[in-house]
Amino acid sequence: MTDKPGDLVQGTLDMLILKTLALEPTHGYGIAVRIEQMSKGVFRVNAGSLFVAIQRLQRDGLIGSEWKDTENSRRAKYYTLTERGRKRLDSEKRQWGRQAAAIARILEAS
Amino acid sequence: MPSLRHIAGGIRSLFRKKRAERELDEELRGFMDMAAEEGMKQGRSQKDALRAVRLERGSVDGAKEVVRAAGWESFLETFWQDLSYGIRMLRKSPGFTAVVILTLGLGIGANTAIFSVVDAVMLRPLPFQNPNQLVVVWHTPPPKSFPGVRRFVVSPANYIDWRRQNDVFTAMSAIGIHRANLTGMTQPESVQQRLVSYDFFSMLGVLPTAGRAFTSVDDQPGHGSVAILNWAFCQAHFGAPKNALRKTIQLNDRAYTIVGVMPPSFDFPFQAQLWTPLAWTDKEHAVRGDHNYIVIARLKSGVNEAKAQADMNTISRRLAQQYPTEDAGWGALVVPLRDLLAGSIGPALLVLFGAVGFVLLIACANVANLLLTKALGRDKEMAIRAALGASRRRISRQVLSETALVSIAGGVAALLLAHFVVAAIGSPIAGKLPLSIEIGLNGWVLAFTFAICVLTAVIAGVAPAWHLTNTNVNESLKQSSGKTSADSRGRRARNSLVVSEVALSLVLLVGAGLTIETLYLLRQVNPGIDPHNVLTVPLAISQKRYPAVSQQTNFFQLALEHIRALPGVIGAAAVDSLPLTGGSTQPVQVEGQPPEAMADQPEAAVRVISPGYFSAMHISLMQGRDFTDADKAGAEPVVLVSESFARRFWPHENPIGRHVGLTFSSGPPRTVIGVVGDVKLYGLDVTQSFQTVYSPLLQNSNNPVMTVVVRTTTPPSSLIPAITSAVHQVDPQVPVTGVLTMDDIVDQSLSPQQLNMTLLAIFAGLALLLATIGIYGVQAYAVRHRVREIGIRLALGAQRRDILRLIIGQGLFLTGVGICGGLVLAVGLTRLMASQLYGVTATDPLTLAAVVVVLTLVALAACYVPARRAMKVDPTVALRYE
Repeated sequence: MTDKPGDLVQGTLDMLILKTLALEPTHGYGIAVRIEQMSKGVFRVNAGSLFVAIQRLQRDGLIGSEWKDTENSRRAKYYTLTERGRKRLDSEKRQWGRQAAAIARILEAS
Repeated sequence: MPSLRHIAGGIRSLFRKKRAERELDEELRGFMDMAAEEGMKQGRSQKDALRAVRLERGSVDGAKEVVRAAGWESFLETFWQDLSYGIRMLRKSPGFTAVVILTLGLGIGANTAIFSVVDAVMLRPLPFQNPNQLVVVWHTPPPKSFPGVRRFVVSPANYIDWRRQNDVFTAMSAIGIHRANLTGMTQPESVQQRLVSYDFFSMLGVLPTAGRAFTSVDDQPGHGSVAILNWAFCQAHFGAPKNALRKTIQLNDRAYTIVGVMPPSFDFPFQAQLWTPLAWTDKEHAVRGDHNYIVIARLKSGVNEAKAQADMNTISRRLAQQYPTEDAGWGALVVPLRDLLAGSIGPALLVLFGAVGFVLLIACANVANLLLTKALGRDKEMAIRAALGASRRRISRQVLSETALVSIAGGVAALLLAHFVVAAIGSPIAGKLPLSIEIGLNGWVLAFTFAICVLTAVIAGVAPAWHLTNTNVNESLKQSSGKTSADSRGRRARNSLVVSEVALSLVLLVGAGLTIETLYLLRQVNPGIDPHNVLTVPLAISQKRYPAVSQQTNFFQLALEHIRALPGVIGAAAVDSLPLTGGSTQPVQVEGQPPEAMADQPEAAVRVISPGYFSAMHISLMQGRDFTDADKAGAEPVVLVSESFARRFWPHENPIGRHVGLTFSSGPPRTVIGVVGDVKLYGLDVTQSFQTVYSPLLQNSNNPVMTVVVRTTTPPSSLIPAITSAVHQVDPQVPVTGVLTMDDIVDQSLSPQQLNMTLLAIFAGLALLLATIGIYGVQAYAVRHRVREIGIRLALGAQRRDILRLIIGQGLFLTGVGICGGLVLAVGLTRLMASQLYGVTATDPLTLAAVVVVLTLVALAACYVPARRAMKVDPTVALRYE
């Protein structure tokens, strides 16, 4: 189970997955590893939450999938960002930025 | 709310379930393996790495479950699982299932039946254009002439002034209700004729489907010989509408050309068979004091009833000033057209609706009890489910889906039941209404039934579901037959359910008891006549063929002579309106009273009779003499008065020889020659005696509609053919239809109370039955689960009789609490039906006491069987019982 401090809200995890795939298509484990790396270990995603989010994103048409062979000749499902997904990522990034700034302002206020 | 794509994805997943599962499985295993590889790269052994992955990232199976649950299609799957499991469980105990479905079927079915009537009468919009704009404009009479009457018919002159002077109606129509003789067809027939203004149909927005409506020309004096037929009437006499147009029919020996046929099911008002224009002569136009017409109108858009009422009040005041003789004290009342429909039966209907609501609640309580009892037996099963990881929501969903299944099955049963009930009560009710409405199961009724099913499922399922999700897993899994905390919580729920059932059935029983008493007391009321063995034969002759008054009276005299000569006839006479059926009233000028304007004169019921009426009806002649054939035109004008009339106007004097002037009849004041007993003219429940004046047929003009009353030795109906031929010997063209016995007429006058009583009694009986089953069930269950305790008591020296007393005592205690609660409710609620009662108050102590006794006895009987079983417990077996 993930640690409490690093718990991810549903929408946030979606955004992080999209961002990860924006850099390069990869499989499920790869997404988990990359999120962990990019957040310097703060976010450790567990299998259940990850694949729930992936199923959701796929059903909404934001990411596409394809079975491919990995480097170790193992079969894995590779996910790519669709055009829709790209647009969604952009708008989510802007919204997140606005929200974060607002929250920060509130927290700074004395 | 998932997007469309989302849903599509779910559907795809449903269909390729196996493949999707396999893929997910493969993906997850791959995920875990890759993570383990990472761990191994960091130096752990494979075993340790796998274990670490499971701890950190979750297990494959766990993740699979989470992912699967997240998809919406899993909801459907689990729902289907719950449903099929529910079906299996219900099939395992068919007796239980049958009882539950039957109980629900009865409760829901009764509600559906009554609701279909409520819907037809009160909710469905009337079949006219913009029906909310249609109103009835009644005359309100001055209270001292007609005490207690707020709705009265209108006179032609007033109607015309209303029509001319108002600002608030786009159209207004007067309606006259007549029965006419139809001749010229295969046989003479009595038909329901309605005289209406030329714009009657356009105002209602329903036009003839063949031919045309009336034009303003048709409504002029001298015109008006046109008729529009009702669809059914046209079908019966002419076939297709085109066969009827331009044909002529003879109504009261006047020829009418058929110009139109109305669409099917239109027979407004009061089962009209044909419509003709009013076409008043100038003389008829001017009649202001004699009221005979119903007036309906359409409000202008933007005008509401209050505004219309205010306008009519102004007009009434103006008319009262202009015509003080006739109109002083007369006002107007504007009510929605629906009032015609719902006014008479509305309150009773609402009481019945409340009553079936109670029945449903009792049924739900019973079903809840049954389900709860069953659920208690499944404690262990639910505990295992919870231990295996089922959420509370999942468990309650499972229980609720079972109750939903049962409710739906109950709903189907209910619809079947309601179909038959509605067929049975629909026609007696519909026949009395001014509008032909279909009382049946339509879309709204079905929707209502569905809503009730859902409500029932929720109500009945709440108790068991709540109870089951609250079981302590540990305690339930422990094997024990002693009292568990779960058991006592169940007991409280069960007991309170039974108590509420008893309370509700008490209220229903009291209501039913009150209506039974009402009907009983009404039947005891002395109508002033002896209705047994009297036949009533309405005979109407037309003025065309009998233009002179002497010819009319001649006809009746001859007919009476022929009838009196028949074997089996003790006496025969004629009257214009039978007792209990209403009739006309007139202002009268009484000797000894100061002369007053018409509007201020006292009102009396005036009946035109032939000699022999009082003896035929067994009305007591208290003073003076009856009419004879010598009291004819040209002789001294005479009348008889009823006892209450004499008492009111000449309380300490001899009324014989006094004089009474009838304002609507021409001629000098009449001399009183006798006093007779009071007769109930308007209904058995009308306690006010109406002062009556009897006037001889031979001294009156214009009486084409008389009813012959015949007292017989043999059962009256057997003489109908003989009487018919006797009448036809005098004139074969006069129809003899609608013959009823006086007893029938009495029954008809009581039929609303009869129907009310029957329905309430059925519902109360149902409620009592359900409550009895409830009490029995609770006690039986309690006994079964207290076998050990009873064994201990017996072993410790208690007598078997003490056990009996214990069980029965507890059952009676529950009943007692229910009775107390029910009494409080009853006292509060029965006042709502006070308007339908006669001779009893809503809180009649006798009825309440009787109901309490009945309930207690029934409860006693219900407890008896479980108590006896408790008595027979063998202590040695009980103590070994595990």
